[in-house]
Amino acid sequence: MSFDPVKLEIYKSLFHSIAEEMGATLRRTAYSPNIKERRDYSTAIFDGQGRMVAQGDHMPVHLGSMPLSVASAIRNRTIDPGDMIVLNDPYRGGTHLPDITLVSGVFGKQERLFFVASRAHHSDVGGMTPGSMPLAEEIYQEGLRIPPVKLIEKGEINRDVWDLVLANVRTPEERDGDLAAMLAANRTGERRLLEIVGKYGLKEVRGYIDELLDYTERMTRHVIRQIPDGVYQAEDVLDGDGLVDAPVRIHARITVRGSRARIDFSKSDLQVGGSVNAVYAITASVVFYVFRTLVGVSIPSTEGGMRPLEVIAPEGTVVNARPPAAVCGGNVETAQRIVDVLYRCLAPALPDRIPAASQGTMNNVTFGGVDPRNGKPFAYYETIAGGMGARPGLDGVSGVHTHMTNSMNTPVEAIELAYPVRVERYRLRRGSGGAGRNAGGDGIEREIRFLTPARVTLLSERRRFAPYGLRGGRPGEPGRNRIIKADGSARDLDSKFETAMEPGDVLSIETPGGGGWGRARRKGVRKQR
Amino acid sequence: MAGGDRPRRRTRGRGGAGGAGGWIAVDTGGTFTDFVRIRDGAVEVVKELSTPRAPEDAILKGLERLGGGGDVIHGSTVATNALLERKGARTALVTTAGFEDVLVIGRQTRRDLYDVFTTRPEPLVSDDCRIGVRQRTLWDGTREVALDADALGALASRVEALGVDSVAVSFLFSFADPTDEERVGALLAGRGVPVSLSSAILPEYREYERTSTTVINAYLAPVMSRYLGRLAATLGSRQLRVMQSNGGAVRAATAAKAPVHTILSGPAGGVVGAFAAGEQAGYSRLITFDMGGTSTDVALLDGQIRVTRENEIDGMPIGVPMMDMHTVGAGGGSIASADAGGALKVGPESAGADPGPICYGAGAEFTVTDANVVLGRLLPRFFLGGGMALDAGRIVGALRRLRWTRGWPSTQRLAQGVIDVVNNNMEQAIRLISVERGHDARDFSLVTFGGAGGLHAATLAAGLGIPRVIVPPHPGVLSALGLLLADARKDYSRSMVGKPATASLIRRTLAALHAQGVRELKDEGFRRSAIAAMDFVDVRYVGQSYELTVPYGRDWEAAFHRAHELRYGHSDAERAVEVVNARTALVGRTPKPAVERIPRTRRPARPLARSRVWVNGRWRSAGVYDRRDLARGHVVQGPAVIGEYSSTTFVPPEFRCDVDSVGNLILTRTR
Repeated sequence: MSFDPVKLEIYKSLFHSIAEEMGATLRRTAYSPNIKERRDYSTAIFDGQGRMVAQGDHMPVHLGSMPLSVASAIRNRTIDPGDMIVLNDPYRGGTHLPDITLVSGVFGKQERLFFVASRAHHSDVGGMTPGSMPLAEEIYQEGLRIPPVKLIEKGEINRDVWDLVLANVRTPEERDGDLAAMLAANRTGERRLLEIVGKYGLKEVRGYIDELLDYTERMTRHVIRQIPDGVYQAEDVLDGDGLVDAPVRIHARITVRGSRARIDFSKSDLQVGGSVNAVYAITASVVFYVFRTLVGVSIPSTEGGMRPLEVIAPEGTVVNARPPAAVCGGNVETAQRIVDVLYRCLAPALPDRIPAASQGTMNNVTFGGVDPRNGKPFAYYETIAGGMGARPGLDGVSGVHTHMTNSMNTPVEAIELAYPVRVERYRLRRGSGGAGRNAGGDGIEREIRFLTPARVTLLSERRRFAPYGLRGGRPGEPGRNRIIKADGSARDLDSKFETAMEPGDVLSIETPGGGGWGRARRKGVRKQR
Repeated sequence: MAGGDRPRRRTRGRGGAGGAGGWIAVDTGGTFTDFVRIRDGAVEVVKELSTPRAPEDAILKGLERLGGGGDVIHGSTVATNALLERKGARTALVTTAGFEDVLVIGRQTRRDLYDVFTTRPEPLVSDDCRIGVRQRTLWDGTREVALDADALGALASRVEALGVDSVAVSFLFSFADPTDEERVGALLAGRGVPVSLSSAILPEYREYERTSTTVINAYLAPVMSRYLGRLAATLGSRQLRVMQSNGGAVRAATAAKAPVHTILSGPAGGVVGAFAAGEQAGYSRLITFDMGGTSTDVALLDGQIRVTRENEIDGMPIGVPMMDMHTVGAGGGSIASADAGGALKVGPESAGADPGPICYGAGAEFTVTDANVVLGRLLPRFFLGGGMALDAGRIVGALRRLRWTRGWPSTQRLAQGVIDVVNNNMEQAIRLISVERGHDARDFSLVTFGGAGGLHAATLAAGLGIPRVIVPPHPGVLSALGLLLADARKDYSRSMVGKPATASLIRRTLAALHAQGVRELKDEGFRRSAIAAMDFVDVRYVGQSYELTVPYGRDWEAAFHRAHELRYGHSDAERAVEVVNARTALVGRTPKPAVERIPRTRRPARPLARSRVWVNGRWRSAGVYDRRDLARGHVVQGPAVIGEYSSTTFVPPEFRCDVDSVGNLILTRTR
């Protein structure tokens, strides 16, 4: 088959639009605000060998980890026509337990042609606390662990599995609706892929999948070649694991040779007792993300982009945890710190392209209790945006999600309609961005008053160690967590805590500002031209 | 919507046949301002070079050229342009204290996931002009903290000190109790400051979307008001009506106060015109395809014009009903380029009108229009009367720059590639509004207009399985024609979240909206008998967070389950549903001018000339026709090129083109 740059462009947009269409189906049909309002999900397409061909523009943290879900499904189960495999086990293809992934095969007359996968963050999968983002010490406390098993067999729902899942979660009706939405998403992908094969023929489609992977590989190599050959090292820390009062160190050493890069995390800390451990899938996602941002133009998310990158993350470290370590914070917090470390490595090599550190946390808030309005249990999860790091020549954006997440907020009016809480404040935290020639973006202030007894878990970072500035820019202001009791007494809390709230108590969260870039000019002194 | 009882002519408003000269449509949408009048069934068209700084100058000139009297119905881009170019009024925003930055934070997301240099559009209200006041309303309408006199007084002096030209007010849950907003409104209106209240502009839940919509209105109101004032003065005794984004026209005074309803004023005329053209041809399930120089609008009409509330302009949501239209950033002027990985890209960069495509004379970058010229589908002789010339040398130079990676094909194949890529983008856009929403594209006809649509429509239809393409007469001024066919329309809504959706409550809510709407349409000059209401409810399953709009009637619940099934592939009649909003559209029906049928002819269509076109990898001989020579009953076999003033239609080899009784070209596949 001869290569045609026109066809390449067409296939690129075809596969991407199918992944986006799967995502639209999932969003539209889901039940929980977490999927519909916040859009915490991803969808992707793979070829018959499990190589990623396209992913919708949803959540970067799912970027490099979706292929591992598909690989695990293939390894652990035979996938026949009409089967769908469900999984969330971080040690077998998952990331953290709330992220449930559904993988299905797409079959032609005789053979398997593709896989499609959808993943959504479910706002409760059981475990110690409502919202399933607890301060756990082992994975068994974090919720229901689902190895790759058949949720759908020959087109029929496997009620045994379905009922077992629903029996282990706090909000089964919502889970039921959300799982059905994931099913609909996979079916959308399957239908569209078969249409394309029918229209263009299998031979051509397969040929252009190879071309597409090669294309993303070329684009990635093109970028790596722009980095001067050499060895770049940096490190940064997490505030702590939520159990022991000690920082957790992440170290990276990037070796660039021509169009290849090796990213070695060997000098990072060993896995810890709390839940900030990342499984390998997370670390791979971050590496993929960082190099993808360097490309500068929009390229498809395919397996080809990973080829020039070699990731070394020894088992048993905080960047490649072994069971039964708790991992729910690895996905949301450690992932952000790995980004910070990799950019810090590359800043001297690409001085005009690397931003200062962004807020470096997702500020995960979960709470639950019983709603006095209807007597039903509720579980809520949200993440709060913060300041973006300043860029060379450009201030950081204020009050925005950065790097590994892009989930939306839930409108204040939607929260108060659905849950027995009152949002007292939601605004920018002025002055929290680091000063510099370009200033970091400001964080956010959010205050929630509880109207009923509730359990709250907060999983946040950068309360102690600030987001760094670059080239003389000041660091961003660290975040701050507080509880203001109904009687007016207030106390500061750590990065990670779990506590009971009484009616009238207020949870106050101030998210970090982004780091500044470049030395700030002294006030009143104009630069001479 | 056409027909029905006709309103009696009144002193104000749009009854009967207008003033002495009938109604004149004026569309200031593009490079040219278009004027259309229908007199005794004949369509008169005038084009005048637009004067964007003062659109009324071109309007005055055009009206003089057209001659005679006549009232004006106007498709305006003043609001859209002021918004995109950030040339609106200095505006303040008053919010519940603690929520001053909702407008800036938005949904806390970034536009591009992988671009670390991504930016957020500057907010329409600067930091120092966002004012929080102490007040709080709850979801059920309880006023937990009522706005007091001290706060009001402080607010008044603050607004005065800021010296703003316009004020938006958006308090949390104001849709449940608008009292506090109304107090602020009364206070500031008393001091002569124009005020936009969120409880009046968009009384629906979700504070960011409501605030954004209200702020846009406040930002545009002074600009629109000044412009329409100048225009009215220019027009003297002629009446002036303005097209809204929902496809209905209103008095200029109404549009001046609620300009957020006019963001799609121009394109909405095109959709109304396309719908009328489709119906005249005998089809009411249509996909409209308006391809211009830098962008393309597509819309799906399933027997009626559809509106949506999920709109965005430059990253800012607008929650008022607008034509359900999808825009792609690609058109005739889109530039072709090759990236480092060897893929051919088309757009989003555009050569615009200046320097324009290479074939316009000054451009240097290869565009979609140039590709059509290379392939022989666009003939210089038809370019606005033959004024444009093709510089072959420049085209070759531009093409050479494109071929720096492996495997680049010949000039023609490359041009064909540019067409394929742009058609694929268009195809994805049409899929998005049809297949992805549960419609089968094969049940629809494609109505194409705008300068470039006719060159791409047939191929596009074939790729999507759409059985026919309709090219209405005067495709270059269809948006203006549509203005003449528009009814008056006003949309009203009221949030019902948190309340039990009993039939009596829905009826009471709708009745209140009807009363308001009838009053306002009577002010527009419509008799009660010419006013009709279309009622809707926004419904969702309890626990969902997005709702579907379905017609309100006895079986609204069943209609919701059906709509959910169609859109999402599943529904559950057992599951409890809730009503989020009640809404109604009040339509003031206007008489429609009749277009003359064209006579049948016995003589076969005769080409002006023959010319070479490149199709399916080789040159073919094609007939070249002037559309003015085509009459009812004529059949043109592809390959053929049918040219007219400001538009060209390409008939591919496997297509035939029939001319119907009102002059539509109907393209269908022959094999």
